[in-house]
Amino acid sequence: MAAKDFVSLVISAILTAGLYAIMSYGLALIYGVMKIINLAHAGVIMLSAYMTFWLVTTYHVNPFLAPLIVMPTFFLVGLAMQRIFIRPITGAPPIASLLLLFGVWLIMQNVAYLIFSGDTRSIFTEYTLLTIKVADIPLSLNRLFVFAVGIVVLVALQLFLSRTYPGRAIRALAADSEAASLVGINTGRISMLAFGLGISLAALAGSLMSLIYTFDPDFGRSHLLKSFCIVVLGGVESIIGVALGSLVLALAEAFSVVWLRATLQDFVSFALLVLVLLVLPNGLIGLFRGRTH
Amino acid sequence: MRNLAFSLAVLWVSVASPMAYAADAPAPNQIVIGAALPLTGAQSREGGFFKKAYELALKEVNASGGIMVKEFGKKIPVTFIIYDDKSDPTTSVQMYEKLASADKVHLFLGGYATPLVQAHTVVAEKYQIPYVNGGGAGGDIYARGMKHIFGLLANISKCSGTLMKWMTFQQDAGKLLKPLKIAVVGENTSHGVEFRKGVEDGANAAPARFRVVLNEGFELNIKDADALLQKVKASGADVFLADARVSDYTTIQRRYTELGLYHLVISYGPRGPEKAARDALGRASDYIVAANWWNKDMKDKPSQAFTKKYKQAYNEDPEWFAALGYESARVLFTAITDAGTLNRAKVRDTLANTKLSPELVVGGVVQFGPNGQIQNDYVVTQNLPDGKTIIVYPPNLATAKAVVPVPKTK
Repeated sequence: MAAKDFVSLVISAILTAGLYAIMSYGLALIYGVMKIINLAHAGVIMLSAYMTFWLVTTYHVNPFLAPLIVMPTFFLVGLAMQRIFIRPITGAPPIASLLLLFGVWLIMQNVAYLIFSGDTRSIFTEYTLLTIKVADIPLSLNRLFVFAVGIVVLVALQLFLSRTYPGRAIRALAADSEAASLVGINTGRISMLAFGLGISLAALAGSLMSLIYTFDPDFGRSHLLKSFCIVVLGGVESIIGVALGSLVLALAEAFSVVWLRATLQDFVSFALLVLVLLVLPNGLIGLFRGRTH
Repeated sequence: MRNLAFSLAVLWVSVASPMAYAADAPAPNQIVIGAALPLTGAQSREGGFFKKAYELALKEVNASGGIMVKEFGKKIPVTFIIYDDKSDPTTSVQMYEKLASADKVHLFLGGYATPLVQAHTVVAEKYQIPYVNGGGAGGDIYARGMKHIFGLLANISKCSGTLMKWMTFQQDAGKLLKPLKIAVVGENTSHGVEFRKGVEDGANAAPARFRVVLNEGFELNIKDADALLQKVKASGADVFLADARVSDYTTIQRRYTELGLYHLVISYGPRGPEKAARDALGRASDYIVAANWWNKDMKDKPSQAFTKKYKQAYNEDPEWFAALGYESARVLFTAITDAGTLNRAKVRDTLANTKLSPELVVGGVVQFGPNGQIQNDYVVTQNLPDGKTIIVYPPNLATAKAVVPVPKTK
């Protein structure tokens, strides 16, 4: 492989990692705090893609600005979801939330089929096929934008979780909910905030992905599975772990296609997941925390 | 009184005797034909086209009083029972079971999409109910030794085979070089595997014309096509052929365009002119060649007549789903007429020996192969800028000359 092609592949994998990370932050946050696997994550990705489509095609909102409307909207949706669906089953076995959110996902899907039909949709704008050349390597403007947003979200989330009261409260709740309650943290309100934030991050992912992929009411299903892999790979309670997991996975997938076969791409993802779980049960971030200690 | 009774008896016998044969199998009030279509779910768009097509065929046949069934000496109106299989193979099987066992339909019309057709045709074979479909092309459907399944879609390797024929035509016209190096990729499903096999078979049959330099499958819902396209680029191919669903087609072709790749011919098999893809790709879809089972611009009389009546009925241009759905219904109706009976075994035999012309399939002739699947060529189209699509092959259906090779300024 020529050096230029190698560099192009690495850059492409890094940009894909940005997308994977955005796809997974919301799932990681909700699981980290509430120990809930949010299967409705895929449905939120799908609905936010449709909302972005509606904003761009009906109101001619700039697709790069649409997330600024989509995210707050879905934050409120997330608060409502937590209040209506999750709070009543607090304390129930984990299977209850799993099945409940799976049902919510199916409802979202079927409502989407009824309203939008099964037609494949896309957002095509003046930016869609634009590229920027860096050292003669063409980089997609849309993918660069998604990657940049991924970095901003990573930094913002880290700052939020480490430097703000709600953020530290979320971390405390994730670490030990009883202790958090004992020190005066309103666990109900913080759970609601975390869930809302997780849903808004899933919506951000859907809004950005609608710039890159076509979508229909089944959109999000294959991304959900990949997000699971990334969250477990990176470390379920670490945002930086998610970013790291995304990078490792994207690079592994890219080079598996080149050096092995393209049909083994998903196999490599899941094989890597199993390997990391066997060798590093706390995920990749556990490796760095272990070395720090 | 006795004379009256005797006269009435004679009268009854003289009237009833032509019906004596029919009285053994009383004429039904309606010919009931069943189908399960994806009216909701992932395939609902295509299922909707089939339903409209079936209803158009039904309306036509009933407008003339129904189907003439010689066995009963009269025309019998037709009714359809169409269930929604929700685009799910398991539900599809259940619906066909219901049609056979509870609704006791006379005959079946087909559903849509290879996985569903593959699943529910087992029911048709189990109950020995003749089944005619325009929605399942996978060769595996017809490779199971079933005797009651008839399909109007030629298999997928015929799709790639037709593209190879078209490229041969272009080579002979001096527009493409010999031999052509081909990179072929396909989704990791039976559809993609069959497509790639068709290309390999075509190349093996004409080594002086074609050489396959890359043959690779890829997983569905591809997220990052760069590594695959790197392989395509590294292969040094002249031609890029792919088999992909609309979502993967748009993902791959967008990246292909962004990376500035170039080939003399680009094709994604049956994908190309559909609106969803043109909307998603814009100029990136220009000059892409596609092979399909039918196109509304086909100039033959049956196609033109169908396009006109469909547009009158539904105020939209028909896609191939509607054309092949309509044709399936007409072929089944004709088989009943030709068999002269509703006896399933006889209708089945008639279908197996059917040769109908002119019909709106490519080539104009409907004749099923020994496995029940038609083996007609596809029609090849090419996207042009500004949203236009032209037919470029076969020559007797072509509406314009192909732009070959793809312009480098694209």
